[in-house]
Amino acid sequence: MWDDLTLLGFGAMGWGHALFTAATTTVAVSACAFALGLAIGTLCAWAKLSGPAPLRRLAEVYGVVLRGIPDLLVIYLFYFGGRQVATTVAGLFGHHGPVEISGFAAGAIAIGLISGAGQTEVLRGAYQAISPGTLEAAKVGGMTRWTMFRRIIAPQALPTALPGLNNQWQSAIKESALVSVTGLVETMREVGIAAGSTELPFLFYAAGIVIYLIITSLSGLVFRTAEWRAMRSQMPARAR
Amino acid sequence: MDIHFLLGLIPTLLSGLPLTLELTVFSLLGGGVIALLLNGLRAGSIVGARVADFYVFLFRGSPLLLQIFLIYYAPGQFSFIRHSFVWPFLREPYVCALLALMLNDAAYTSEIIRAGLRAAPRGAIEAAVVGGMSPLTRLRRVILPLAFRQALPAYGIEITGMLKSTSLASVVTLMDVTGIASAEVSQTYRAIEVFLTAAVIYLVLVTLVTYGVQRLEGWLSPTRTPLSARSAA
Amino acid sequence: MTEAAIRLSGIHKSFGAHHVLRGIDLQARNGEVISIIGGSGSGKSTLLRCVPLLEQPDSGQIAVGDDSISLGEPGQRLTGRDRQAMRRLRSQLGFVFQNFNLWPHMTALQNVMELPLHVQKRPRAECREEAEALLERVGLTARRDAWPSQLSGGQQQRVAIARALAVRPRALLFDEPTSALDPELVGEVLTVIRALAEEGRTMVLVTHEMGFARHVSHRAIYLHDGRIEEEGPPEQVFDNPLSERCRRFVSHHLSRN
Repeated sequence: MWDDLTLLGFGAMGWGHALFTAATTTVAVSACAFALGLAIGTLCAWAKLSGPAPLRRLAEVYGVVLRGIPDLLVIYLFYFGGRQVATTVAGLFGHHGPVEISGFAAGAIAIGLISGAGQTEVLRGAYQAISPGTLEAAKVGGMTRWTMFRRIIAPQALPTALPGLNNQWQSAIKESALVSVTGLVETMREVGIAAGSTELPFLFYAAGIVIYLIITSLSGLVFRTAEWRAMRSQMPARAR
Repeated sequence: MDIHFLLGLIPTLLSGLPLTLELTVFSLLGGGVIALLLNGLRAGSIVGARVADFYVFLFRGSPLLLQIFLIYYAPGQFSFIRHSFVWPFLREPYVCALLALMLNDAAYTSEIIRAGLRAAPRGAIEAAVVGGMSPLTRLRRVILPLAFRQALPAYGIEITGMLKSTSLASVVTLMDVTGIASAEVSQTYRAIEVFLTAAVIYLVLVTLVTYGVQRLEGWLSPTRTPLSARSAA
Repeated sequence: MTEAAIRLSGIHKSFGAHHVLRGIDLQARNGEVISIIGGSGSGKSTLLRCVPLLEQPDSGQIAVGDDSISLGEPGQRLTGRDRQAMRRLRSQLGFVFQNFNLWPHMTALQNVMELPLHVQKRPRAECREEAEALLERVGLTARRDAWPSQLSGGQQQRVAIARALAVRPRALLFDEPTSALDPELVGEVLTVIRALAEEGRTMVLVTHEMGFARHVSHRAIYLHDGRIEEEGPPEQVFDNPLSERCRRFVSHHLSRN
């Protein structure tokens, strides 16, 4: 068993490089999805808080639907559904046969949409925690909406939002494992390949778990540091 | 979009519903029991608390899909398992998927229970102590009712979460709603229609569960007459 | 003292079925100090909040200096031009809130510098110098790097006054500036406001501090049920009002203070 551990290393026989590359792909898909989710979440939080009625309802329906469907189905829909659409469209232009689409893009979009539904609620909650008087003070000062968002809303909402955003980021990482069904070689897929070709499933699936634990703990640490730094500015007992 | 295809599709997909519901209920029950054990362990000793912490860290920090694969494929690597009495069970994708779902649910549920137990305000407990309640009465009459109300919304989300997570069982060949949908797509190549229909089935289930939990929450909310007062009256 | 700094005419405002302001006309001349008094629900705070359009009146006209906005119907959507006029109008006012409303993520000094720096886009060095001078005026030089959460209510309100002054406003509006303060902290804030009145600033003050209002203001207005019921020099309004209701209100509050 211990001899097998060299298979996890970076030597000639080792899967180290492949696993490392796959781990970066995991982080890349998750990061793209999270960024997309943040953009969607910001828009939907705005729509729910003060958007026109049709947009507000759209944001509500989006949230209910995305939180009511299994993540796996969302990815299936985007990957296989996207392929179906692409093939049909290509057929109209005279191309025959199935068209492949990027598993990375389909996965990032699918998880981004799922994450967006969660981030909407996090951001909405953080906005609602802001004392409305501080916004009035900004309005009276003649701030434009953009200045107000940048100088008053975002800095106050961020510390409150960070724990929730951290949760959403952790979820995105874990959901990214589902993108392996598209054939994208991220961590989940790579450990599956390694487990199959070495016939050492325990070793490689356990290694996969460790890789995810490292990614989630390290990035959790980053979030907690950011949280601590953001909170510090509103804490008493620390005048500079 | 042709209507006959859709009409035929609905009963086909619904034939996977019993398995989906079965997996959900069993994993919540098994997960709940393990979660209670974890909380007992946590209360028991410092070492126990560390073990429970590590368990939660392990199962919440990695993807459920990987946990399913690990439980499904990994035992085959060891000949002593292949030759033991558990092998006939561990070879079954149903057992493996259910086991992974239970273990995963336990990690999340134990945290929900923990947060609930911490919810009882110190003052409420002190009032019970001063009132001469025994520790057991205190637990039964003050701490648990408060914990249950506190934990209910989060547990509602966990129930719907597990319902959705059971779809992962399809990747180890189980024919739940998602499994049947995947098989249907590989035959018909109509991914959008099939997966959308499956999505609607889950959406309806999740909506029903959410509604039920909200009703229960309203029933238990402190602004209503408490249950005990009503039964006493 | 002739030109009007603030002109309100025909201001109406309803919240649902409740008609809070029923046609208010009010002018504040340059350098004038006006006190608005009245019972709770008289509409005095709503009136003050209408000036910078924190509440949008259902109808009426609001002018500050050369900028004005006319409103014709309830819930009217402001045009782009209106919004620009509103921003210009607001940037000429300093508003002091009952609950201070300091920005909690900025130090005292940053609070005071924020609007000159990021709205009026004046040079940073100038903003800083002026903000430090203002904090000195309100007696808080030593606390300039403190966060709002580290300051007492009285100190927070003094920072808020410095923040209002930092935009070099044409007029200052005070919305019950001492109502949220513990009694022992009221004096330090009133001292600052009195000094501002004495240097000839245009001010409109909604307050429950009757004695203070009589002392600092040039003109007092008694609001009842959304209308101006009594208006005149403080000697008249506080000591010899024409309206019986105003007499009862003032005597009740003066005896209490």
